[in-house]
Amino acid sequence: MLDFFLDILGTTGKKFNNFVANIGHFFIFFGSAIYWVFKPPWYLKKIFQQIIDIGYFSLPVVGLTTFFSGMVLALQTYNGFTDFNSETTVARIVLTSITRELGPVLTGLMVAGRIGAKMAAEIATMRVTEQIDALGTLGTRPMQYLIAPKIIACLICIPLLVLIGNIIGILGGYVIAIYKLNFNPSLYLYATMEYLQLIDIIQGTVKAAIFGLIISMVSCYFGYYASKGAEGVGFATTSSVVISSVMILTSTYIITALFFG
Amino acid sequence: MEKRNNKKVIIKVNDLSKSFNNNIVLKNINFQLLEGESLAIIGASGSGKSVLLKNIIGILEPDKGSIVINDTEMVNLPRNLKEKLLLDLGITFQHGALFDSLKNWENIIFKIANKEKINNKQGKQLAFSIIKQLGLQPKILDLYPSEISGGMQKRVAIARAICGNPKILLFDEPTSGLDPVTGSLIDQLIKTAVKTIGGSAITITHDMASVCRIADKVILIDKQTISWTGTPKEMFNSANKKIQEFVEPINSEIFFK
Repeated sequence: MLDFFLDILGTTGKKFNNFVANIGHFFIFFGSAIYWVFKPPWYLKKIFQQIIDIGYFSLPVVGLTTFFSGMVLALQTYNGFTDFNSETTVARIVLTSITRELGPVLTGLMVAGRIGAKMAAEIATMRVTEQIDALGTLGTRPMQYLIAPKIIACLICIPLLVLIGNIIGILGGYVIAIYKLNFNPSLYLYATMEYLQLIDIIQGTVKAAIFGLIISMVSCYFGYYASKGAEGVGFATTSSVVISSVMILTSTYIITALFFG
Repeated sequence: MEKRNNKKVIIKVNDLSKSFNNNIVLKNINFQLLEGESLAIIGASGSGKSVLLKNIIGILEPDKGSIVINDTEMVNLPRNLKEKLLLDLGITFQHGALFDSLKNWENIIFKIANKEKINNKQGKQLAFSIIKQLGLQPKILDLYPSEISGGMQKRVAIARAICGNPKILLFDEPTSGLDPVTGSLIDQLIKTAVKTIGGSAITITHDMASVCRIADKVILIDKQTISWTGTPKEMFNSANKKIQEFVEPINSEIFFK
């Protein structure tokens, strides 16, 4: 009986130990990556390629997601507030929800799925095929050449994607409000503009930048330390998406609490 | 600089040991690579040859021992100094390790392009001048590594290693997966690189024909350590059982007539 409990204790202790070691390892990687983000020379061509990939090619998926979210939000809000002053309420709730929460979170999750997975798979493949080792022997720092451009591009692109996503989301709400719920367009737009607050935009942008950091760091970390061939690449890809998504949802609460708590 | 037989010692590996999770891979490895010398490292698959090479180029840190390249101790050397030292080396990895996202010509001139400003035209010309020696067609320059055969990838990786004429060449199975004609061409190239530019080379290989063509000295890694050292000719008269297993399949007459 005692052996059984000691076994459980030993296994739990080992897992906890590994968990703490991994957290420490991640923060060492984080510190090193931040250092290389600010250290010249910057590989401008690589940064530009990443901006196109992350920013431009994510636009359709982010646009579609936020557009339909805006539409759903307008419809649900109207159903819930049909007895009240619906035009003002729908406009206000669509605006606040999109700019404060749905825009950044949905964009973050979509980019984590699309770009995070791609980054992790790309870097993990380079790791298991010795390309990262080769980089180091050719006078290039892998952190500077591979990781830093991805982080810089995410920090630039995700806030911009969120801003564009917000506009498209609000447009989605507008389309439903005007063409399905037959609201007065001028009144709806007036209500939207009236409730538009700078703090909401700032909060959304701050969230987006933090999500950008989370997605790039987590994906690059799992890719960079991948092992065991194809299985390792798969593990890195899945882990990066799951951990990024969980961290996005956790951090959005913390940021909201800091701004409005 | 340390000398032996009036030749500079380019690489000196002293008492090197390496293990992974209590699994000892290399134990008390000692050897030297002299200036102008071509050294072949042979051994069964999984005997630790590639691990040895990775220790020499600093990808792995040995548990014990020292590695001196051009009079500089590599073990625990600060990363920036290690990188500077590695710039004097031309290295090929077992599976090529070409960068998928770059075209073949960009792969070949990667190290040079990092050191100095070089435009696309100059870069392609430089890459072309190297691949000519390796029997590759110029049309592969504008293709990506995934668009050419495995054998061609191997040759592009060799082109990347010899670009800039490094004085120390390290090849991990350069002829595996190549047809005999191309393999012989690569051997000739390694030999030429060593003789004409006064370079030194370490080649890890299973290809005994290749060993006979390129090596001045051969070391065998067996049971985690160097179990035999000699010249290619001496291999054929050796009483070492493992060496006999290696040379058995080939007819020495072909190479030493």
